[in-house]
Parts: sequence; structure tokens; C-alpha cells
Amino acid sequence: MLKIEDLHAAVDGKPILKGINLEVGAGEVHAIMGPNGSGKSTLSNVIAGRDGYEVTRGSITYNGRDLLAMSPEERAWEGVFLAFQYPVEIPGVNNVYLLKAGLNAKRKHQGLPELDAIDFMGLVRDKASLVQLDPDFLKRSVNEGFSGGEKKRNEIFQMAVLEPRLAILDETDSGLDIDALRIVADGVNKLRSPERSIVMVTHYQRLLDYIEPDVVHVLADGRILKSGDKRLARELESRGYEWVLEEAAA
Amino acid sequence: MSAVAMQEPPEGVAPEMLAAMRGLPGSGNRKLDAYRQACVDTFGRSGIPTMRHEDWKYTDLPRVLTPWWSRLCTPAAGDALFDAGVLDALRLNDLDAQRLVFVDGHFHPGLSDAPLAGGDGLYAGPLAPLLDMPPSWLILDAGESEAPLYHGLNAANGALFTDGLAVHVPAGKALPRPVQAIFLSRSGQVSHPRNHVDLAAGARATVIEQYASIQAPDREEGALDNAVSRIALAEGAELTHYRLQQLGPHDVHLGRVQVDQEGGRYAAHAVNLGGQLCRLDIVAGLQREGAGCELNGLYMAGGLQHTDCHTRIDHHAPACSSREFFKGVLDGRAHAVFNGKIVVYPDAQKTDSAQSNANLVLSRQAEIDTKPELEIYADDVKCAHGATVGQLDANQLFYLRSRGFSEAAAKQTLTVAFADEVLARMPHPEVRAYLERVGLSRLAAAAEVLA
Repeated sequence: MLKIEDLHAAVDGKPILKGINLEVGAGEVHAIMGPNGSGKSTLSNVIAGRDGYEVTRGSITYNGRDLLAMSPEERAWEGVFLAFQYPVEIPGVNNVYLLKAGLNAKRKHQGLPELDAIDFMGLVRDKASLVQLDPDFLKRSVNEGFSGGEKKRNEIFQMAVLEPRLAILDETDSGLDIDALRIVADGVNKLRSPERSIVMVTHYQRLLDYIEPDVVHVLADGRILKSGDKRLARELESRGYEWVLEEAAA
Repeated sequence: MSAVAMQEPPEGVAPEMLAAMRGLPGSGNRKLDAYRQACVDTFGRSGIPTMRHEDWKYTDLPRVLTPWWSRLCTPAAGDALFDAGVLDALRLNDLDAQRLVFVDGHFHPGLSDAPLAGGDGLYAGPLAPLLDMPPSWLILDAGESEAPLYHGLNAANGALFTDGLAVHVPAGKALPRPVQAIFLSRSGQVSHPRNHVDLAAGARATVIEQYASIQAPDREEGALDNAVSRIALAEGAELTHYRLQQLGPHDVHLGRVQVDQEGGRYAAHAVNLGGQLCRLDIVAGLQREGAGCELNGLYMAGGLQHTDCHTRIDHHAPACSSREFFKGVLDGRAHAVFNGKIVVYPDAQKTDSAQSNANLVLSRQAEIDTKPELEIYADDVKCAHGATVGQLDANQLFYLRSRGFSEAAAKQTLTVAFADEVLARMPHPEVRAYLERVGLSRLAAAAEVLA
């Protein structure tokens, strides 16, 4: 599904990623943990194709294709989805329009007919219930005036509608209270499938209590220093990141 | 004003004007003749503002007029033939309106709905038939030349106008449906449309002015529209006034809207999309306590378009409110000018006024000059103002693209969302939907002209 090899990336000329190697298979859930400033969000943004992140070396292969050669929208059409750490408010563009245009652009790319308004609204109502979103919010502008929790739920709701093959969840747990965290995690769990890979980027272990990863990676100073199963996450929670860094330095 | 701020019109134009007057509708009526004569005098006296004039700092009117002087006094005959299909593109979706079509400033009965004339004095129809015996509500006032932002071409309109929209609604009455006056101009033609709207106490109406052109496909030559609208509202009257300027890429549009309010609510929705050059002046005077005035505006310009909008609101009386909300979208090498002046006179205590002008600049070569001007001579007033110039937000663009929007679609979506804030203030959804569609294709077309 996703293969990252020796990925180096810089922001404003400053090296952030310094040789990432990562392979995510179909249906797998990976957690990428690490201290602040380790490059977690840079990795998410490079995968999604945001401007301002310069890849200086290495490659990302997605379903056998060169991901880095694709525009952000092509990546979306091919099934890559980024749940934003800070979802953007877009006054004047409503949620229904965003999703309908996004989904139909993807369907067009896949050679599928566009969904009409009735089919689309049916789909959207189904998916909104997945993260307990009030259907009324669909008429509102994208994320405008949403609470932090509503914004994150909206991201997962969009993921449910767009049905990606690779979802990157960038700090989806940050800013959530425990109830909102459970709702978001439930939503993600319902979206787990053998065809869908998920990469969760997080600072804290608590998200992993709700969404159980197959593999846990520790990212620090732009490199993946250690990988393991979910027990690694628990160990990080109790011991912090220091020991991993020391172990790597040794 | 220093002498260089004004340029005299070419010799011979004023005498030509006097000669042309004699063949115009209503000629022989003393009141009208005196008015036209006074306008010719004003034209000769007041001259044409140059770029040295503070109100014309960015728009070179003398240069714009140069190719038109020889034709200024010879408005086209009213017998133009053209493909009426052009009107389909001007239909405001399924808005049910009384349509009046003017071609080169002349009423075209064949393409128009019948005028509305009630026994109580209610009237909505062409102006020309009223001119042989102008009704008392028709303002033919040479003193208007003292009003703010008045210039020589406004006087030329007074001297030379052929026809236009006339609306009078008696006290307490309402127009049954909106009046849509469509002004079509043909390549190479000059027109001087003149509109009069008068609402008596408690009367209500919706009036739409729509300016478009019929471009001869083989000609790069545009038309010159020189339009003036005089609007009067009595106490408790309510007017919704759309003014949609959708001319072609070679046309020149000069427009003036003068509103006198003895109370009531006036709402303007002024949209300028077309023209090689467009200058619109909106002047509103709040004369009686409690009057309210709302000016909403949108200008979109691309390619090499130049669009200039000057507004002026005079708070003469206490406790009046004014709301002004203008937005601009600029692409290509377009140049836009916005100037919003608000004057609060000493008697106008408890004035409540707010003005904002926001601009979205899509290209590096586009230019916007925006300036709020407040003159306040009363002490107990609220006057807010703000002007911004910005670009599309990179985070919003990326967010949309990450959801599958192409770059072009993302830009378009954000541009429409920006402009929509103006359209959302329009009470007729049909007009709003129509403008969303037309505005976008305008920007795209302007981009092509440049490319």
C-alpha cells in the first residue's frame, strides 16, 4: 500500500525528515509516536502533498505509483486522505458542497457516475451518524464556528464519506475531551477494513487505548528509531521517549 | 479646486448639444427645456475632471472620452435590429419581473412587457412618454449640479437623455413585482439612459437596472453608456435597487445614482462585472430623522479592466443609519478603485454608520486602491469603517485540494465564497443564483482576454 524509503524533507531549507523508512500494508493500522518537533506532522503533510515541504531525497510509493509526483487532488482521487491536525475554517463553503464536489471529483476520476443530490444526501446522513454529528451542521460553512471536538469529528466524517484507502490521522486526538475522543475513535474503528490502511500520528498513547494499532513506531529527530507492537506504546507512556533516544544513540 | 483638476470639453460640443436637444422626447415642454438648457450650461461651465481631481485620481476620464466626443451628442436612432436571443443571457433565472428593454437608450416595446399605469398615479414604464407633461414627482432640478461627485458627463446626460425607467409608487402602495430595466448598447453607440424612481410615503418597490451590450463580433469597438438614476424616498418607503453592470470587454460605463431620502429604507445592490472601464458614483442623502440606507456592492475585474466605485453618504439628520458593504475580486492586470465617503453633519447626532470594503486579489499584476473617508461634525455618533486587501488563503486551498478539488476548482470555490457574502445580502435568491453563475464566467472570460 504505502512504502516510504529514505525520505528526507526540509521546511524553509531546514532539514526535518532525515531518512524515514516505513512500510504500511493493506488493512494495517500504524501509530507514529514521538516527542514534539520530531517531524510527525511534516511526514503527514508530505504524504498529503502540502506546499512548502521540500523532499530532498528518497521516495514514497503508493500502490506502486510515485506518490510525490502527484498533486494533492490526484492523491485524494487515488484514495489518500489526511485528517488535519488543525482543520481549516472555510466561511461561505458549506459542508455538503465540500463533500459532494470532493466525492464526485473522485468518482469522475474513477470513471464512476456522479452521485445525484438524493443519493448523496442519503449517504451523508448515514455517515454523519457514525460520528454522532447533527445533520443540521451539514448546511453550515466548513468548520466555521465548530468547537475543537466538532472539527475533529468532521474530519472523521469526511473520511467516512470519501472512503480512502490510506488515511493519515494527524494528531486527531489533540484537543479532544474524553467523550469526544471515544466518539472519534469509535468512528475510526468502524472504518477499519482489510482494504483500508490507517496511519495515526500522535503524541499521546491514550488514542491507542481506543484504536488498537498493529504496529507502533517512534519518530524522533526525523527518523524512525524503533518499531514494535502496541506494548511499545504502553512502555513509552510509562517511561517517556528518553530511553528510546538513548538506545538509538548507543 | 485648482484649474488643472478640470478640463474644458472640446469646443463645439455644447452648441452641438443645444442643437441635439430639440429633437429629444419632451422637447417644447418649458420645464424640461429649461432643465436641459441648464444642463448644457453646467456642462460648459463645470468641465471634465482630470486625474488631478481628488475624486478622479485613478481614473483618466478625459482619455476615456477622447474617442467619444464627436459622437456624444448623436445618440443612436431607436430602430436597432438585433438578435433578441441576447436577452436570454440576462434573464435573472426564474425571477418574475416586469421587463422593460431599452436599446441604445430607446425603449423597445416589442421586447418589453406593457407599462404599468394605475388610476392612483402608480407608474412603472418608460420615461419618455411622461416628458411632454412631466408629472410633479419627476425631479428636473438644475440644482443637482451642486450635489457631491457631480461632473460634466452627468450634465451631458441631463441635456441629452432619450429615455429610461420611470417608477412612481403612490403612498402606501407597492409594485406588484420587480421592474427589470435592461439597457442594451450596440458597438460604437453612445447612450444616455435616465431613470427616475419616486416612492411616496410607505410605498414599496424593487427595481433592477441591468446594463449589457451587443457586441458586433467583427468589431473591437465598444459602446459608451452614460447613465443617471435619480431616486427619491419619502417617509416609510422601501426600495430595493439592483444595479447590474454586465457590459462587454470594450465598453465604457459611466453611472451615477443619486438618492434623496426623506426617510424610509433604501438598499442598493450594485454589481459591476463588465466593461473595459466602469465608473459608478452612488450618492445618498439622508435628510430626515430615522432614514436608513444600505449600500452593498461587488466588483469583479480581470484582464485589463478598470473599475472605479465612489460612494458618498451624507447624514444630514439625526438618528439615521447607513450600512456599506463592498467587496472586490481582481485578477489579471485589472485595476479597481473604491472610495467610500461618509459625512456626518452637526445636526446628525445618534448617527449609526458602518462601512467595509474587502478585496481579494488573485494575481500579482492586479491593483486596488481603496480609501474610506469619514468627515464627522457631530459628537454622539457611531461610525465604523475598515478596508482590507488579501489573497486566497493557502491553507484553505490545500484543504479543498486534499478533499479532491482541482486547483482551479478550489480557487473558484473560495472566490465565490468571498463574493457570496455580498450576494447573500440580496433579498431575491433568483438574482443571487444568477450572479453566482455570471460572475464566475466573467472572471474566466477576462482571464482569457489577457492570455
